[in-house]
Amino acid sequence: MSTLTVSNISDATTTVGTSYVVNGSAKAWANFNQIGTQSIRDSFNISSITDTLTGSSSFGVSSSFSNTNAEVTGGSTYINNNWRFSPRSRLTATSTIEFQVANSAQTLADADQNSFSAHGDLA
Amino acid sequence: MTHGHLWDRLLEAKSRLEPVQSKYRVLFEDPTAPDEPAKVLVPDPNWMACALAGGILPPINTYQRDRDVPDGEPKEHPYAEPIDAMTEEEAIEYLVMKDIDPAVWRDYQGNRTILKIVPVELIPSDRSFRNAWRVVQ
Repeated sequence: MSTLTVSNISDATTTVGTSYVVNGSAKAWANFNQIGTQSIRDSFNISSITDTLTGSSSFGVSSSFSNTNAEVTGGSTYINNNWRFSPRSRLTATSTIEFQVANSAQTLADADQNSFSAHGDLA
Repeated sequence: MTHGHLWDRLLEAKSRLEPVQSKYRVLFEDPTAPDEPAKVLVPDPNWMACALAGGILPPINTYQRDRDVPDGEPKEHPYAEPIDAMTEEEAIEYLVMKDIDPAVWRDYQGNRTILKIVPVELIPSDRSFRNAWRVVQ
């Protein structure tokens, strides 16, 4: 693997520092299913998913974040019932992401289409 | 150091390795929360591909030492020299030690069996009573 060390990237009109690209990239993400046996469809920088409860999943991160202040954004849908959920997702440790889905009654519920991405500084 | 950062190795590996769905699941209970149902750990397919390929993941003891490193302080595992390829069984054991609390796999001294590595077929697909699951004794 070759390394290109540059401070800025330009398209001849606009120039941005490479730190914008590095800091702005998602450091971990996953697309997963909670129905049946919970499973990951695709991901990056994730080592495992743990089915902890109905509607609740926990993820191991391979390359840890430097602190738990990283931002985690997620979304969920249950296609069959046309439900759309707003999950709660956050880092509970520098190498653990928690993801919980609640339905309109604020009860934890499984969803089949879930995803999140996490941005922050790596350790 | 020629091996670079773990995140960079994972990025490079994702571009060339096919994901591997494990045939194993890890069923466990948390001894510090005995009223909670059993949990089921599923290996990530991309991570499993890295484990089987070798030359990407750091030694497991670097993760264990990093558990004691305060937030914001430099951690050892991203820069550690990668280990060789593992078998799927070794990879599952590695994952148990990485992603499950030591209170489950190292410190527990009770009589109940609280951790089992099982084939995926033994995990129920019917989730009607998900919050009542326990590890069968």
